[in-house]
Amino acid sequence: MTPDPDRGAAAERTRLAWRRTGLSATAVALLAARPSFRPEAGVLAWLIAALAIAGWAAMITLAYRRARGLGSVPPRPGRRVIPAYALLAAALAALGGLVVML
Amino acid sequence: MTRAVDNQPVLGALRQWFDPEKQPTVGRTPDYRFSLANERTFLAWIRTGLALIAGGLACAQFLPPLSVAHLREIIAIGLLLLGALVALRAVDHWARTERAMRLGQELPGSKFPAILALAVTAGALLLAIAVLIKAVQ
Repeated sequence: MTPDPDRGAAAERTRLAWRRTGLSATAVALLAARPSFRPEAGVLAWLIAALAIAGWAAMITLAYRRARGLGSVPPRPGRRVIPAYALLAAALAALGGLVVML
Repeated sequence: MTRAVDNQPVLGALRQWFDPEKQPTVGRTPDYRFSLANERTFLAWIRTGLALIAGGLACAQFLPPLSVAHLREIIAIGLLLLGALVALRAVDHWARTERAMRLGQELPGSKFPAILALAVTAGALLLAIAVLIKAVQ
């Protein structure tokens, strides 16, 4: 039996969608970390930057691990990654609230 | 059409978010291509949410203080809340679509895109009015 040729390139398109989303997350994390680059940045700014980078790293790791599930034949659909990723995105929004308060 | 699983609206929905896998009792596994398409739709919504969050952060950091007191902060917080809402709604919609596909039901419709469009339009109009007031003064 021949492996599924994945005619619509569904797995590849999904992988690229994860990558685009990772790039958006990068932009958000950099904007959240930005106040810490000021010379007069306080402890709070540093804490926010650390949390933003940690959240960003978690998102990139999730997307990286997801790519493995997409690489198998037939590709496995995402399960727990999806709520975890959305919660991380919402956490970045909460962190953004702290940035506004700075 | 009920969006709740069993009789626990909130808990049931949350459980459905985290393991639609644990519900093989309902329906059967759909073609993986449909599931992946659902996943890409979810990711597109997440990008929308992240763009709103980035917009909020950019407002807070790059806008000069506006004519109306704290308007800048209000816009920033509004965009951040909208971004978080979009992200959470994205999972909910993903889980409900997945469940509908398993059961072979019609996919869930949603008023959310229209509401989001109206919210963004209203925000843009408010900002335009604020700018006009500033220009007139």
